[in-house]
Amino acid sequence: MKVSFYPGCSLEGTAREYGESIEQVCETLGIEIEEIPGWNCCGASSAHCMDEFLSVALPARNLFLAERVEQDLVTPCAACFNRLKTAEKSLTGASKMDVGIPVQGKSKVLHILEFLTQEGVVETIEKHVKSPLRNLKVVSYYGCLIVRPPRITDAKHWEDPQALDRLIAQLGGESVFWPYKTECCGGSLVLTNVDIFRRLTGRLLDMAKDAEADCIVTCCPLCQTNLDTRQQEIGSAVGITYDLPIFYFTELMGLAFGLQAAGKWFRRHLVDPIPLLRSKNLI
Amino acid sequence: MNSNETKSNFKSDPPPVGAVMVVGGGIGGIQSSLDLANSGFRVYLVEEDSAIGGRMAQLDKTFPTNDCSMCIISPKLVEVGRHNNIEILSYASVDGIEGEAGNFRVTVKQKPRFIELDKCTGCGDCAKVCPVEVANEFDADLINRRAVYKRYPQAIPNAFAIDKLGISPCKAHCPAGIHVQGYVALIGQKKFKEALALIRKNNPLPAICGRACTHPCEGACTRNQVEDPIAIMSLKRFVADWGYAQEELDLPPIDEKREEKVAIVGAGPAGLSAAFYLALAGYQVAIFEALPEPGGMMMWGIPEYRLPREVLKKDIEYIQRLGVEIKTNTPLGPELSLDDLFNQGFKAIFLSVGAKKSVKLGIEGEDSEGVIHGLDYLRAINAGKEIPLGDQVAVIGGGNVAIDVVRTAIRRGSKNAFIIYRRSREEMPALEEEVIEAEEEGVKIHYLVAPKRILNRDGKVIGIELLRMELGEPDASGRRRPIPIEGSEFIVEVDSVVPAIGQSTDLSFLPKEKGWNISQGGTLEVDPVTYATGIPGVFAGGDMVTGPATVVEAVGAGREAAISIARYLQGIDLSEGREGKLPVVEVTPEGVAKNPRHSPAKLDVQERIRDFREVQQGFSEEVAVAEAQRCLNCGICSECLQCVEACLAHAVNHEMVEKHLTLSVGSIVLSPGFDVTDPLLREEYGYGHYPNVITSLEFERILSATGPYQGHIRRPSDLSDPERVAWIQCVGSRDESHGKDYCSSVCCMYATKEAIIAREHNSTIKPTIFFIDIRAHGKGFDQYYERARDVYHVRYIRCQISKIVEKPRSKNLLIAYIDETGKVVEEEFDLVVLSVGISPSKTSRQLAENLEIELNSYGFCQTDPLTPMQTSRPGIYVCGAFQSPKDIPETISQASGAAAFASEILSKSRGSLVCQEVFPPERDVQGEEPRIGVFVCHCGINIGGVVDVPAVKEYAQTLPHVVYVDENLYTCSQDTQAKMKEVITEKQLNRIVVASCSPRTHEPLFQATIREAGLNKYLFEMANIRDQCSWVHMDRKEEATRKAKDLVRMAVAKAQFLEPLKEQELTITKRALVVGGGASGMVAALGLASQGFEVFLVEKEKELGGNLRNLYYTIHGNEVQEYLRSLLEKVQNHPSIQVILDAVIVDFTGFKGNFKTGIMSGPAMAYRQIEHGVSIIATGGEEYKPEEYLYGQDERIMTQQELEGKIFRQEINPGIVDEVVMIQCVGSRIPERPYCSRVCCSTAIKNALKIKEKNPHANVFILYRDIRSYGLLEDYYARARKAGVIFVRYDLTNKPEVTQGKEGLAVSVYDPALREKITLHPQLLVLSSAIIPRENNELASLMKLQRTSDSFFLEAHMKLRPVDFATEGMYLCGLAHSPKPLDESISQAAAAVSRACTLLSHDTITVGGVVARVDEEKCSACLTCVRVCPYDVPFIDEKGVAQIDSARCQGCGSCASECPGKAIQLQHFKDEEIIAKATALLKKEAA
Repeated sequence: MKVSFYPGCSLEGTAREYGESIEQVCETLGIEIEEIPGWNCCGASSAHCMDEFLSVALPARNLFLAERVEQDLVTPCAACFNRLKTAEKSLTGASKMDVGIPVQGKSKVLHILEFLTQEGVVETIEKHVKSPLRNLKVVSYYGCLIVRPPRITDAKHWEDPQALDRLIAQLGGESVFWPYKTECCGGSLVLTNVDIFRRLTGRLLDMAKDAEADCIVTCCPLCQTNLDTRQQEIGSAVGITYDLPIFYFTELMGLAFGLQAAGKWFRRHLVDPIPLLRSKNLI
Repeated sequence: MNSNETKSNFKSDPPPVGAVMVVGGGIGGIQSSLDLANSGFRVYLVEEDSAIGGRMAQLDKTFPTNDCSMCIISPKLVEVGRHNNIEILSYASVDGIEGEAGNFRVTVKQKPRFIELDKCTGCGDCAKVCPVEVANEFDADLINRRAVYKRYPQAIPNAFAIDKLGISPCKAHCPAGIHVQGYVALIGQKKFKEALALIRKNNPLPAICGRACTHPCEGACTRNQVEDPIAIMSLKRFVADWGYAQEELDLPPIDEKREEKVAIVGAGPAGLSAAFYLALAGYQVAIFEALPEPGGMMMWGIPEYRLPREVLKKDIEYIQRLGVEIKTNTPLGPELSLDDLFNQGFKAIFLSVGAKKSVKLGIEGEDSEGVIHGLDYLRAINAGKEIPLGDQVAVIGGGNVAIDVVRTAIRRGSKNAFIIYRRSREEMPALEEEVIEAEEEGVKIHYLVAPKRILNRDGKVIGIELLRMELGEPDASGRRRPIPIEGSEFIVEVDSVVPAIGQSTDLSFLPKEKGWNISQGGTLEVDPVTYATGIPGVFAGGDMVTGPATVVEAVGAGREAAISIARYLQGIDLSEGREGKLPVVEVTPEGVAKNPRHSPAKLDVQERIRDFREVQQGFSEEVAVAEAQRCLNCGICSECLQCVEACLAHAVNHEMVEKHLTLSVGSIVLSPGFDVTDPLLREEYGYGHYPNVITSLEFERILSATGPYQGHIRRPSDLSDPERVAWIQCVGSRDESHGKDYCSSVCCMYATKEAIIAREHNSTIKPTIFFIDIRAHGKGFDQYYERARDVYHVRYIRCQISKIVEKPRSKNLLIAYIDETGKVVEEEFDLVVLSVGISPSKTSRQLAENLEIELNSYGFCQTDPLTPMQTSRPGIYVCGAFQSPKDIPETISQASGAAAFASEILSKSRGSLVCQEVFPPERDVQGEEPRIGVFVCHCGINIGGVVDVPAVKEYAQTLPHVVYVDENLYTCSQDTQAKMKEVITEKQLNRIVVASCSPRTHEPLFQATIREAGLNKYLFEMANIRDQCSWVHMDRKEEATRKAKDLVRMAVAKAQFLEPLKEQELTITKRALVVGGGASGMVAALGLASQGFEVFLVEKEKELGGNLRNLYYTIHGNEVQEYLRSLLEKVQNHPSIQVILDAVIVDFTGFKGNFKTGIMSGPAMAYRQIEHGVSIIATGGEEYKPEEYLYGQDERIMTQQELEGKIFRQEINPGIVDEVVMIQCVGSRIPERPYCSRVCCSTAIKNALKIKEKNPHANVFILYRDIRSYGLLEDYYARARKAGVIFVRYDLTNKPEVTQGKEGLAVSVYDPALREKITLHPQLLVLSSAIIPRENNELASLMKLQRTSDSFFLEAHMKLRPVDFATEGMYLCGLAHSPKPLDESISQAAAAVSRACTLLSHDTITVGGVVARVDEEKCSACLTCVRVCPYDVPFIDEKGVAQIDSARCQGCGSCASECPGKAIQLQHFKDEEIIAKATALLKKEAA
C-alpha cells in the first residue's frame, strides 16, 4: 500500500520521534509513505486567522501536489489535517472557492490515525504485536481538530471518538474511558494567554490522574508538546507534581511491535516514560 | 369526513369485510381495538411483542394527574384480553398486503412463542428453572430476565414466551444434535444432573464423547470470533464423570414397556446408541457383537491414554442397565443370518458393524514382516497383546489413527516413532490438539513425503523408500493434491512400518440375494434421514454406512435409526416431520470482552509416555462452571428443556415454527408506537460509559414499584440514594445535527412528572431540569409545571448542556451551565436523567414498506393536517406517535378517530363478523346462607409493600360467613381472574369481596368475572385498601394493616346482605345531537352520518363554520376557506344531517341511549324537542379580546387572528411593513388564566413566516416566554429562525411595555440574552392572545356537564378518556375541550364519533341495577325526593306516590338519604347494608 505523506513542520523539530515512529510502524505494516515533494506550510496558526485566501490557498497547493501522484494524502498533525480538510471542502463543496489552484478532490485527506485504523489496515495490526502493552492504562486524547467540526472532518463520532481506544486495546493495553478525549488543551493560547492554557491542560492532567491512567496517548504533535513540556510549570503553579508520560500513538505501536528504535524515541520526551514502562515490564 | 366518495365505490362491489386489523398493541392500538370491537367489528390486534401494553405499560405515573400508569391501563388490557371480538396476534408482524380499502388480504408473520397460549396459566414455573439470563427490555435493560419470560406481571396475553432465535451453532454442528448450549447453560448454573440428562437425550455415551470426540461444536462456537471456543468436550466429560461419581445413578424414565424385540448387530457407538434409545422407548433390545468385548472402535481403536477402559465400561454398563442385552462373540455370518434373527422373533434389525478392514498402501514390500496396519496394531495392543515394533517406526498417514499408533508405539518403548504424511500440516485430518500432544511427546511428523516401497531383508523390514511431494490443485476432498517430485527419493532405515491410511467396510456377511444398495466406496447405502435399508425392518448406520467417521456421528445415526425403528414398529410414517425447521443462529458478537478459555490440565510429558494413563485431566467443578459461563447464549433459549419438565400444564413446545396467516380485513389502523431515541446520539453525555447517566425510560422503571429497585430510587453505580438529580431535556429532539429536528412533545412534561414523583418518593431529592423551552402546552400542564416549580421545588435552568463529565472515583457527574447572570457554573450531580425523545419504532419503516404507505423525512407516517389519520393508502389509518410525537390523550383521541374512519368505510358490514358474548345462566342464590369469598390483593408492592397482606388474609378468615380467602400478587391479572372463577364454582361462593384498589377502575372487571362464574354481578363488594389505605399511610405500616383489616371487615359485613339485582333492556335512539357547528361539530356530524346514523347539528349562530370563518391558512399551508367550503357542502347535502341554525338549547332530559333535548331556533324561537341516543358537545372557543398592551386603542395593535384576516383580505400589505412585534402569551399563562393556549406560538410563527415570505427584509420580533412549537411544528420554528425572525424572550415578571408616542408605537422589553432593556418601534403590534371557551355556563348546568376552573368542559379522565364526559352517552371535542389547532380538533371530533358509535351501534342498552326504589306503602308524597333529585327523575304518579324511572335514575342516592319516611332505598346501598358496614367499622378488631 502506498500513500502520500504530508508531515507538516513539527515533524522536523519537536515531534521528530512522532515522524520516526510513523515511518517505522508503517514499514512494519508494509505501508509505503511517500512525502509529497515540495510541500509547504498548511496555513495553521497564523494564516487561517489572518487571511481567508491564504488559509485555503496554502493547503490547496499541498492537495494539488497529492492529486498529481493520484494517491490519498495522510498527515500526522491535527492542525494540518484540519486545514487540508477545510481547503478540500472549500474548494470542492457547494460554494466552490477559487484560489487559482485546480484541486478536484480526487485524493482523500486522512489523518494518520484515521489511516492506520481504517478497514483493511487495522486488521493487520494485531498480527504484528510482539510485546503487548500489558497492564498499561492509557487514556486516549484526540484533541479537538481531528474530529471537529464534523462537517469538515467527516468524523462520525466527534463527541466520543474511539479509534485510538480500540487501537490501544489491540496493542494489548488497557484503554481507560475518560470524559476529556476531545477537550481543548488550550494549545493555541500557549504563548498568548498562559493562564487559560494552564487551566485547560491542567484539567486534562488532573482528569487523567483521576481516571488512574498511567499515561496519555496523543495523535497530534501540538497536543503532545503542550501536555508533555509544561507539566512542571503547571504543577508548580498549583503545588502538584505531574509525571504523566505523553505518548504518540505510533510510539506505543512501535513498542508493542517490538521495534528496537522505540527506546530512542522515548528519550526525547520531557516526562521520561522509561520508569513507567520499566515498572510494567514493557522494556 | 372525507369518505362519501370512497363509500360509493362499494355500491356494486361485494360488501366490505366487517373486520379491522390494528397494528400495534400500545394504548393507541388498544383504544382503536376496543372502539371497533364495541361498535360491531371483528378486530385482529397485531403486536410484535409477546404482550400488548406498549410504552404506557412501562411508565410509572402519568401527568398531569399522577395516576399510576399500570393501574389505569390494566383494566383496558384485561378488557382487550377478554373481548371475544378482539383476537390478539402477539409476536406478529405484517408481512404484506393485497386488495384495497374494504377488502384487504393481509399476510401476517407470527414468530413462534414456543408456549401454547391456550395451555399456559402464567404460573411462571418455567422461568424459575430457566438457566439463561438476558437483559429485561421491559425494565429498560436495568436488570435481567430469563429466556422464558412474561413481559410484565399484568401482561396480556397472560402467558409466558420463550425468547429463542433459533438453533445455536454448536447444536447445529453436532452430528448427534446434542442441546449443547443447553447443557453448557445448566453447567453454568451448577445443574449437573440436569445437564447430564440433557446430553443423554441425544447421546448415551457422555463420558466417551467427553474424551474422544472430534467436537465440531467447538469449531462452530461463536466465541471463536472473540478468542477461543467454549471447551465443550471437556464440559461434557466433567458432567459425565460427575454423574458416575454420584452414588445414586439416575436412569432416565422408560416409556411403557413394549413386547417387540429389536436386534442390533455390532456394539459400537451406533449400535449402543440405537439400543439405548430403543430401550428407552420400551423395546426389548439385544446386541449381537462379533468380538469378545462391546465398544467397537472405541474399544479396539482408541488407545487407553485417550479413553480409559473403565470410562468406556461405565457408559456401556449404563446402557445395559436399561435392560439391553449384549451377546459378545456372536458374529453375523453363516451361523447367524438376518433371517435367523427374524425367525427368533426380532421384529426389526439395526446393522452397525463398522468399518474395520484396513486399507492397504499398495506398494512394494507391504507384505514384509514388520509391516502391520494401524488399526490391526491398535486392536492387538488394546486386546493386551505384545507387538514389538522396534526402535525405528514409520507410521504412514495423517489421520487420528496414525497419531494414535505413533503415540502408542512410544508408550510401548519405541525410541523413534515418526509420521510420514504426504501433504502439509494444513491438510492433515488429525485433530490439532492430538497432533500437538504427539509432538510434545517427541513425535516428528514428516510432511510432503510419501512411501514408495518398503525395503526388506529376509522378508523383514529394514527400511522404507520415500518420495518428496509438492501440493497441486485441490482434489475432491477439497484438500490440495500431493504431486510427487521427480527424483526426490530417499531411504530411511526403519524396524517397522505401520500404514494407517484408512479403513473400509466389510459387507461380505450380507446375504447377496436381498438387493442391498452398495456404494462405490463399498459402504451400505441407506435413507439419509430414516437410515432404512431397502429391506423392510432392516436399518443400518455408523461407519458401515458413512465409511470411517467419528463416534459422535455414529451416535447420531444410532439415535435416528432408533426413532425410525420405533416408528416402523408402530406403523408411523418414517420420515414425517423430521426435517429441522428452525434457522441456525448467526451471531456477530459485539462488545464482548475477551475471557480466555480454560484448558484442562495434562499429565506431564515425561510421565505420560511411560504408560497408558489418561493424558487429559478433567475440570474441577469451579473451572467447569466458569468455563460454561463463557457461553454467549447465541440462541438465547439454550433448549435445555428444563421448562418442558417444569411445566405441569404441558404448554411448552420447542418445536413451534413461524406461522404465516392471511387475514381478510376491510381496513387497517396503524399504531406501531415509538422507540425512545438512542441516547448514544449525544455521545457527549457519556451514556453507556457513565453508569449514573440514565435515560428517562430507565428512570421510569426505577420509579416503578414493579421496576428493578421496587420503586426505591437508586442510582445504578452503587445503588445509593441520589440527592442531586438532573434532567437534561431535548436529548435526541430539536437536534438538527442528528436528523432529529422535531420536538418530541412529551419530554418537558414527563421530566417534570419524574421530578415530582422522585420527590414524593424521597423528599431529600433536589431535582434540577435543564431545558431550552418548557413545553407545557396541554390541558392542565402549565399548572402542573408551576406546581412542580413552586410546591415541589423543582429547579428549572434554561440552558442546553453541552457535556457531562464523570468524576472517576465517586461516579458523580459534573455539569457546566450558564446561569441567569451569564456566569458559567459547574455543578455536581449524583444522577443525571437524559430526557430522550420519541423516534419512530425500529420496525415501522419495514411496516410502511410492506403496506406501501409513505413516511415523512423523519420516518413518521405522512399525513395531511386536514386528514390527520389518513395514510397515503386508502383504507389504512394511523394514530399515535407513529403519526408524530404525542402524549397519551392525543394518542387515544387519534386512536378513536382512526377507528371512526376505519369503520366508516365498513359501516355496511357492521356486525357481520362479531360473535355475541354468552354468559352462563345466573345461579339463584336466594335463600342460601352467605358463603363469602375474600380475595386480598398485593398489587405488586403498591399494597403489599405497606399492608401486611398475609395478616389481612388470616384475619379475613375469622370473619363471619367467610368460607374462602386468598391473596394475589395482582388480583386483576387474567390468571387470577380465571382462578377466581374456579374457586367460586368449587367452593360454591355466593358473595365475593375483593380487597384491592379502586372500584372506579376495577369493579366492572371483577363483576364481569363473577358473572362469568354464574353469579349476579351485584353479589360483589370491594374494599379499597390501596388508594384509601396503603397509598395514604405509606409510612405507617402497622396502622395501615389495621385499617386494611377494618376495611375488609366492613366489606364482608355488607357483603352478607348483598342481593342479586335485575337489569332491564331499553332500546337506543339511533340518532345523535351535535352541539356546535364549527370544524369539530361538522366533522363529528359528518362522521356519524357516514356511519349511518341520523344527526342533528345545532348551531347558535346563523351560519355554520365557527372559527374556521376567521382562519385562512394553516401553518402547513392548507387553505382553510376551501376546507370550510367543502365541509359545508358535505354537511348541507348529507341526507342524514339536519342542521338547526340560530338555535339555543333550552331543556335536556334523559340518559344514554335516550336523551330528549329541547331547542328553540330561528328568529321566532320556535321550540322543538329532539330525541337522540348520544350528544357531542363541540361548542368551541374563541380568541380572547385583550385588555392589555393598549389593544383597542390603536389600530396598529391587533390580534393574530385579526392580522391573518387583514393579510388575507389585503388590508395589510406585508411588503411595506418594516417592523412587526408579536407578543406571546397575551392573556395566557397568567394568574387569571393560568393555562397555555397551545396554538399561539405556532400561529405567531405562521404569520411571521407569512410576513417574511412577502417581505424578507421586514424585522419581525416575537416576544415570547417559551416557544411551544411541539412535535413537527418545530420545523416551522427553525424555518422562522432561518428566515430571520427574531425571538426575544421575556419573563412574566418583566412583561413588555407598550407605549404610544410621537414616533409611533414603542415596545420595550428586557432581553435576558443581552441582559438589558431594548425598545422596538413596530408598525404593527400583534398580540398572540389566548383561546377562551365560548360562553357555556348555561349549557353546562342544563346538561349537567363538568367544567374545569378555566371553563373548558372537563372530560371523564384526562389521560384515558379524553373525549368522554363523565355522563355516559355525552362526548366532547374541539376547543370546547381545550385550546388546540385544527388538525387536533379534527382528530378529536372523529374520536367523539367513534366513542358515540360504541353506543349507537347497539340496539339496546341495559339499565337498572344500582337505582333508587320507592316503597309505595311508606311514601307520603312529601315531594322531598322530587326536590332533591339533581336529575329531575322522581315524580308523583296518579296513585299519589313517588315514581323513580330506573332507566333515568343515576343511582346517586340523594333521594334515598333525604326521604323522611325511609320509603326510598338505593339498591346495592340499602340501609341494612350501610348500617352493617358502619357497625362493623365501630366493632373493633378482636385482637
